[in-house]
Amino acid sequence: MTKRFALGIFDDEDVLLHAIENVRAAGVKIYEVFTPFPIHGIDDALGIERSRLPIAAFFYGMCGLAFALWMQIYMLGFDWPMIIGGKPHIALPAFIPVSFELTVFFTCHGMVITFYTISKLYPRWRTPVLDVRSTDDKFVMAIEINESTDLNNLSKLLRENGASEVNEKEMTKN
Amino acid sequence: MATLTHHESATAEYLELSPKTRRTFISIIVAGVVLLAIGLIMAAFYGGGHEAAGAAHGAGAAHAAGPEAGAGAAHHEGSPAWLKRLIVSLWHNNVFFVGVSAIGTFFVALQYVAYAGWSVVIKRINEAMSVWLLPGLVIFLAVFFLGRHDLFHWTHDGIMDPKAANYDAIIAGKSGFLNTPFYLIRMVVYLGIWWFFSERLRKISLAEDLNGGTEYFHKSINVAALFLVLYAVTSSMSAWDWVMSVDVHWFSTMFGWYVFASWWVSGIALTTLTAIYLKQAGYLKYVNSNHLHDLGKFMFGFSIFWTYVWFSQFMLIWYANLPEEAVYYNQRLGGFNGAYTWMFFFNLVINFVFPFLLMMTRDAKRQMIMLKIVSIAILIGHWSDFYLMLMPATMKGENGFVIEIGVALIFLGSYLLLFTKRLAQASLVPVNHPFLDESVHHTT
Amino acid sequence: MQHVSPVREPLVTGGKTYHDVTQDVCRQVEAAPNVRWMAALSVALFFLGIFLYSVYRTLWYGIGEWGLNKTVGWAWDITNFVWWVGIGHAGTLISAVLLLFRQKWRSSINRAAEAMTIFAVICAAMFPVLHMGRPWLAYWVFPLQNTFGSLWVNFNSPLLWDVFAISTYFTVSLVFWYTGLVPDFATIRDRAKGPIAKVAYSLLSMGWTGSAKHWSRYETVSLILAGVSTPLVLSVHTIVSMDFATSVVPGWHTTIFPPYFVAGAIFSGFAMVLTLMLITRVVFKLEDYITMEHIALMNKIMMITGSIVGVAYITEFFIAWYSQVEFEQYAFINRATGPYWWAYASMMTCNVITPQLVWIRKVRYSIPLTFILSIIVNIGMWFERFVIIVTSLHRDYLPSSWVMFSPSIIDIGIYVGTLGLFFTLFLLFAKFFPVINMAEVKTVLKYTVDNGPTYTGHDPHHDLIHKPTTHGVPANAPVNYDKHD
Repeated sequence: MTKRFALGIFDDEDVLLHAIENVRAAGVKIYEVFTPFPIHGIDDALGIERSRLPIAAFFYGMCGLAFALWMQIYMLGFDWPMIIGGKPHIALPAFIPVSFELTVFFTCHGMVITFYTISKLYPRWRTPVLDVRSTDDKFVMAIEINESTDLNNLSKLLRENGASEVNEKEMTKN
Repeated sequence: MATLTHHESATAEYLELSPKTRRTFISIIVAGVVLLAIGLIMAAFYGGGHEAAGAAHGAGAAHAAGPEAGAGAAHHEGSPAWLKRLIVSLWHNNVFFVGVSAIGTFFVALQYVAYAGWSVVIKRINEAMSVWLLPGLVIFLAVFFLGRHDLFHWTHDGIMDPKAANYDAIIAGKSGFLNTPFYLIRMVVYLGIWWFFSERLRKISLAEDLNGGTEYFHKSINVAALFLVLYAVTSSMSAWDWVMSVDVHWFSTMFGWYVFASWWVSGIALTTLTAIYLKQAGYLKYVNSNHLHDLGKFMFGFSIFWTYVWFSQFMLIWYANLPEEAVYYNQRLGGFNGAYTWMFFFNLVINFVFPFLLMMTRDAKRQMIMLKIVSIAILIGHWSDFYLMLMPATMKGENGFVIEIGVALIFLGSYLLLFTKRLAQASLVPVNHPFLDESVHHTT
Repeated sequence: MQHVSPVREPLVTGGKTYHDVTQDVCRQVEAAPNVRWMAALSVALFFLGIFLYSVYRTLWYGIGEWGLNKTVGWAWDITNFVWWVGIGHAGTLISAVLLLFRQKWRSSINRAAEAMTIFAVICAAMFPVLHMGRPWLAYWVFPLQNTFGSLWVNFNSPLLWDVFAISTYFTVSLVFWYTGLVPDFATIRDRAKGPIAKVAYSLLSMGWTGSAKHWSRYETVSLILAGVSTPLVLSVHTIVSMDFATSVVPGWHTTIFPPYFVAGAIFSGFAMVLTLMLITRVVFKLEDYITMEHIALMNKIMMITGSIVGVAYITEFFIAWYSQVEFEQYAFINRATGPYWWAYASMMTCNVITPQLVWIRKVRYSIPLTFILSIIVNIGMWFERFVIIVTSLHRDYLPSSWVMFSPSIIDIGIYVGTLGLFFTLFLLFAKFFPVINMAEVKTVLKYTVDNGPTYTGHDPHHDLIHKPTTHGVPANAPVNYDKHD
């Protein structure tokens, strides 16, 4: 499917933040904003909701903790109990280090895998981008356009809000 | 965008203590006195001192490690239980309040050397916190002179004399460190250093308020760095002196840092609580949820740190199970007919589980009510932590709570009177601090 | 909207723009390898050769090739293991702990420091794995069913805790580091000319485009990774210290070990970061990013952690006396005055005394002195582990078994060989990966006092953001984004 975009190119993140607000206020839907680095405050300007990854991370951690405790208690307490160093079979203080490590292990890897999955980030042979400068020093605001879009007006709106260039680009998305 | 505005808008702000607040503090003291009186009467008339002592003897098997078993008679030469409890709890509370006071200065010093900007608007709270250092010294000296035999086994007559009946070779071996003159000198030195640097940092900061300019800031950094070096050594040593030498046979290299961790978390909790109360009373207009968020993070993080230190000490002693070390936990876990067992677990719950679960989310760290609950819990929790460090060795199974809480309330009321007085003596906003603008516009 | 006090030193000097950052960092990735780099790699490869030879000897002829004996059954290998793991800790400290404490200066050193962590942990892992004698059965350390060849593993053993701690630490550090690298790989990908580079960096960058939504999640992930890496890094060296401290060996069984080992680890790690960064900044001309301020700050952290270690030494020594336990007391007297006094003296001099020179301003702002100091600290920290491990073992409870330990040539070969392995990996990293986190440096660029936004020239609508400037610096910013926070 091929989509067409109007790209507003900005040179400064503070100008961009301002522009995002004004463009949205003007009733134009922003498709996506591409920036070379994370910008403080852009989430609110674009209305991006706070990520729920922390909640996921918490549950992964709980799974790790439960798994670790189960594993140690089952293996040393029930499946093959042995007396080691005069300690009880289920020697909880000695189980804490491994429980902690597995909690962290599950938290991190669960969360990172979730992050890559929901963001659809995976290795690909070639990566099309709308404007290659957006990973260098430009801030790119992409607005989806079709036949009915008044390009002159849109261009004017972007330029008035500080865009140094306004380009058009087609992108095939699969 | 970086802005280099020179705190054009910051204005000084002075705390005015209403008579009502003062009355509240005084009524805390009065409540403490009443509780104390009730407790003393109860202990003197109904306290089955001998019965409890018998129980202590039973559990004292744990304490019998080493030649001390033969010195059992020494246990009974102390004061009657009610007086002993009073002395121990004066010591206990003073250790807690002196430690928290010193944390005020430690916090300020740390923020200076770390070039931390966010904390400037709460700095005056930390400065005022150190108010208990001199009264603390006086109380320490007084309690030591009046009640050292009830607190410190090593002060008993003859304990270091090979010819005496109660001679204890291990204690005698420590005489180079644990002897009254050196002990008192150290005590004066620790508190002298802490007090001197508290005053010095405060004075520089007040001069900065008056005159402005960055030379005060740079001078503060130097003073702070020197303080931190001295504090690193004296905080550990004071913990050995004031707390560890109560269990005179026992030793743990971690102990100094363990006590410090306890003081540190309590100090942060007190700072947070004060900031919230002042904010709710209409002061500290620059403090907002971002600053509270950071304080919340500190409470959260350092509660975990305390637990880490606690666990490291406990686990290593539990694992190796050497009698001379394990006795410490034997006494607290099941010793003295289980007098301290519930507190042992309560200590972990209130100081770790509770702050950990409640302070986990971002929202909780930004809400005054949550922060209030957690900081009060932490203060109670670490007060109990010191209780648990001091009581088993001194009171054995004869511990109680009425006298102890009474004394704690007297300390609390008096501390609040002095603390708020010092807080009112200077502007709550350090108007010429070079990081003030950063702090005012702090966002997390 | 952040406010920065003029008291602060600039984080990046030279009036860099965003594009300059990209250029400066990508330059050596895109350029052909230079002679100095090739020469350094050759030396590293030579030492890697020594490593491989020593490993071959160890595996073919067995652990008898090492200098261990019946009394000192644990010496050279574990010393090196602890030393390497410790070095790794600074990377996590910089990437996680300093992130949580909002020390923004970390942004230009965290990438290289994290890489160092990963390579150091790889080097560390070599020692326990080789000491197994049959490394192909290394999977027995995992809890596998009894029918698979062993009983369940012993969860009471600190050595098993190490397995879990090191595996978790290694994989989490790797993931943390890689996630940070993804946006920078995208930058290189979008600049790449050659077809191989284009494909390679496209694969590495996982299709990163820098969309606001991705950045938002990326920041959440980084923060949580930092949040869990902080206790993780503490736990790793804590568990390493418990290898010793859970025992009843005098000089090993002491409760201060966990935090004291952690402090020591950060101490040695910072020394190694300094060693590496001092070279990297010169070789790759990154003096504007890794400034003298950075070096001074790292020196200060080194001095602080060194002093904490010093306090722990004193504490241990004092409590050994205070405990009145004969064996404890002897262990420490033997350390300081016994046959290994020279190791103890080296440790004290290198770890406690020399770092105090950092109090002198001239020292911490001097590149040659800092370099020498960082090497000295690394030597000192190696001796610390050697002193703890060997002096406690070589004279323990049974005087008839008292011996000395001396390493064999193979021991030494493996140790210097891991240095070869480490530097090989680091040099490859420095050549093919961006050594500075470009995205992160760009975020702090505007907040550094030295740099105002330098785009005023080609932005006709610049007045939208009203920026009166004084000496090239935006002096005032009425546009307040506070409401976005």
